[in-house]
Amino acid sequence: MAELKRTPLYEAHVAAGATMVDFGGWEMPVQYPTGIVAEHLFTRSSCSLFDVSHMGRFFVEGPERVAFLQHVLTSNVEALELGMAQYGIISDAQGFAIDDAYLYRFEEEKLLLVVNAANTQKDWDHLLPISKQFDCTLTNVSDEYAAIAVQGPLSRELLTELAGGVQLTEPMKNAVALVELEGHPTGIAKTGYTGEPLGYEVYIAAKDVVWLWNRLIEMGAKPAGLGARDTLRLEACLPLYGHELGNDPSGAPIPICAMPLSRFAVSLAPQKGDFIGREPLTAQREAYKKLMDRDFSALDVLPRCIKPIALIDRGVIRAGMEVYRGDECIGWVTSGTMVPYYKSSGEGLETVISSDDAKRSIGFAYIASDVLEDDFVEVDVRGKRLKAVIVPCHLRSDAPPYARPIIYGTELAPRASLHETRLANAIELMGRACENHVWRQQQCVNLIPSENTPSPAVRALCAADPSGRYAEHRKAKAFYDKDVFYYQGTDFINEVEQLLVDEMRTYFGCTEVETRVISGQMSNMAVFSSLLDWKNRVDRKSAPRRLGYVLNNHIIKGGHLSAQPMGALRDFIATDPATERPAVVNFPVCADNEYKIDVEATKQIIERYRPELIIFGKSMVLHKEPVAAIRAFVDEAGIPTTIMYDMAHVLGILGPSFQNPFEEGAEIVTGSTHKTFFGPQRGVIATNWKEEDLKYGLWETIETRTFPGSVSNHHLGTQLGLLMAAYEMNAFRKEYQSAVCANARSFARACKDAGLDVAGDESIGFTETHQVIVRVGYGAGAEVARRLENNNIIVNYQATPDEEGFTASGALRMGVSEMTRFGFGKAEFERLAELMAACILENKNVAAEVSELRSGYTQMHYCFEGAEFDAALKKLLQTIGL
Amino acid sequence: MKIPADLSYSKTHEWVRIEGETAIIGITDYAQDALGDIVFINLPEVDDTLEAGDSFGDVESVKAVSDVMSPVAGTVSAINEELIDSPELMNSDPYGAWIIKLEGITVPDDLLDAAAYEAFCAESE
Repeated sequence: MAELKRTPLYEAHVAAGATMVDFGGWEMPVQYPTGIVAEHLFTRSSCSLFDVSHMGRFFVEGPERVAFLQHVLTSNVEALELGMAQYGIISDAQGFAIDDAYLYRFEEEKLLLVVNAANTQKDWDHLLPISKQFDCTLTNVSDEYAAIAVQGPLSRELLTELAGGVQLTEPMKNAVALVELEGHPTGIAKTGYTGEPLGYEVYIAAKDVVWLWNRLIEMGAKPAGLGARDTLRLEACLPLYGHELGNDPSGAPIPICAMPLSRFAVSLAPQKGDFIGREPLTAQREAYKKLMDRDFSALDVLPRCIKPIALIDRGVIRAGMEVYRGDECIGWVTSGTMVPYYKSSGEGLETVISSDDAKRSIGFAYIASDVLEDDFVEVDVRGKRLKAVIVPCHLRSDAPPYARPIIYGTELAPRASLHETRLANAIELMGRACENHVWRQQQCVNLIPSENTPSPAVRALCAADPSGRYAEHRKAKAFYDKDVFYYQGTDFINEVEQLLVDEMRTYFGCTEVETRVISGQMSNMAVFSSLLDWKNRVDRKSAPRRLGYVLNNHIIKGGHLSAQPMGALRDFIATDPATERPAVVNFPVCADNEYKIDVEATKQIIERYRPELIIFGKSMVLHKEPVAAIRAFVDEAGIPTTIMYDMAHVLGILGPSFQNPFEEGAEIVTGSTHKTFFGPQRGVIATNWKEEDLKYGLWETIETRTFPGSVSNHHLGTQLGLLMAAYEMNAFRKEYQSAVCANARSFARACKDAGLDVAGDESIGFTETHQVIVRVGYGAGAEVARRLENNNIIVNYQATPDEEGFTASGALRMGVSEMTRFGFGKAEFERLAELMAACILENKNVAAEVSELRSGYTQMHYCFEGAEFDAALKKLLQTIGL
Repeated sequence: MKIPADLSYSKTHEWVRIEGETAIIGITDYAQDALGDIVFINLPEVDDTLEAGDSFGDVESVKAVSDVMSPVAGTVSAINEELIDSPELMNSDPYGAWIIKLEGITVPDDLLDAAAYEAFCAESE
């Protein structure tokens, strides 16, 4: 037998007391003295290091590098952007896996392909001759480079410290970047084989790897061996070649599409051409589609699929054991063992992970394709039939910073029913609504930037008779665009709507306003629907083409759901056939201020993608959007597009204190009326086209996509209230808007002076809007927000642009508009900042002080007063019975 | 590696403490170290009768399963139920974490004393 190969870390493993074994021709650590269970748990709670230097590493360079990789991998390599990595399978001509691989694009000109250690030679022998058919070079750099997987909730912190505090990669999974760690060049990828939401693989010159290993151990990471790597990957439901890929226990090859993760790695995009395995993989995909519809009529292509399995009886399942449904053997366990996990208590965001651990017997089974999730099966464990269940997964990685075990049979606590009778519940409901009202209106400081309290007059009007009425109407060409109403009794609300439109036109300084949309998100959907309709107006006989490209703010950089493919854009956005993703591209942000759009980089993006729609606006917003600069650029470059600004958050500060999109060249402004604006909860769409403009037709489409496209009943009660709010806004606009913007800057400054970490550009006073962002420590956002709530300060926790998502939030997002309306000024916001700092930094209880502060500010400002007005309001309240 | 002098041993790495007609049986330090983290044990029932060399249960580590044999013949009079929930005790305290007790035992003559078992382990390395 050939001598075993050793990685540059061999001596370090032996010195640490590792048990070394032969793994694919390599002498590798299977475990260290603490053992597999401890290593597994340490990865889940802290940070483990895995030597992955034994894996094969190939560089692919040359003009046809992408074409070559498209041919030999199942994934869509053209969709792999610079700074990203992707998972793919090396398929044979029959649609079976030769190996699985990760492809990294650290550099534009050079791709790194990483394959399994035991398959390196086989893969090389397969790939090299094919590479000769392309103008590209394949180089085996396995010996020049080494790699360490740094996995677990503390991995980000440790590596960030070594990087001198700079951001390692973009926060999303599979992001990669070239980063120097204390002077050593490395390639860092947010990838791994443990299921940890925070986990990195670090590629480094072989000569530097011992330094990195020792340095990370010195900082608190611990080494983990192949044993823990296997239990961690199994818990994360990641396939292992030789178990879930390759041959099954009978020796027959497993189709690639039988494994859930591998299915995602298969692209049948036209760009992939006639890649190796295309035909059988197409058949596998078709067979899988049938299975998804529970059509089990043709099981010949995919007779079995790989599914996660959990043992219910006591015992341990192992690879190769037979799985039974009744007397019928339906397949085998492909991987199985007992894995440890930390127990937790509480639910949702309040889940607390304890230091107590338990174990569970889990695995993967390759079983008949008609077995469904939650089906019970039996596993033959050395002659004994043990009961098991097919489960959707064993672990979820989508609530960072921790991986969360999913234990079969766990139920959430049922909601307690309050009383025996509905009457008693009804009485209770009113009592509790009173408590809530008093708390939020008199005792709490409300700082949610998307909220406001409407004035007493607005609230009273919302409850008046129109709140129960309908007033459907649309313009009739036959009557020169005169609105036609479908129901009687609507003259009053008709007049209200006309007055509201006039007030809003004045407010926006534009030609047309649609007020029937009842939310900001609906406003955007009506606009997207109209743009789609407009795009297809000359050809109504073909299936309508969707929108694309669309340029917007990335959700993680502050973009709002209402402009994302996961939100309102979903049914209107095209799929780019080259990338097989929604045809959306994001505004680049400034390197030194991620809250600000990088205008020069945006121009390049616009030239490259020529977006047909540009959507400004976001929900985490500290700056003006560069509407004028982008308008000038697209006009000069002659790029046809529509510029839209979703002003949901900043509608109430539209004007000289902030910005006026129409003056800067926006064509459509949407918004919600209840954040910085004074209204009840509704939406609004404004455009600035004149009747002679080409796009005036688009405005008319917006009207019809509102009614009947989006609403039948447009909630007349709140529409009536909104007219009062619009009167208030137009009457008090100047004072209110300058107070909001000044208060935000005062509050930001006071937070900073009180010792809090305020985000944004200090030289401009941190913020140009109503919002203030305070960082409270990675992952601490939710806990701090809850603590503030317990102290009568209502904020929302927020992920900053370099954080993974809401559970990893390390910031608070606050807005000053509501408290400004209740009369807070500089002094009050300074006092509030002191109280918040005491609560956040010193964990002091400030609930009484906060209520005391609020109790002096319960009267609404920036609304009408005086004897005559008060008398009219009193009469209204009496009349409607309030 | 610990090999207490007052116990007897089998070549399949079980220890046995003989007290008159009763035997207490567990797995040795060598066995637990070779298995790694023990995560599960299958125990026999009380009143099961065993011949010397019979498998009476299995011990599973993260990596593998391994049978446990009885070094002596007899009837199971007690099982250590604590191991069901805490099989890791066999790792942390192999000579304290007994697995079964037998009554009415017959002791074969091929059991090893501590010195012989130590030599046997050294040979197996």
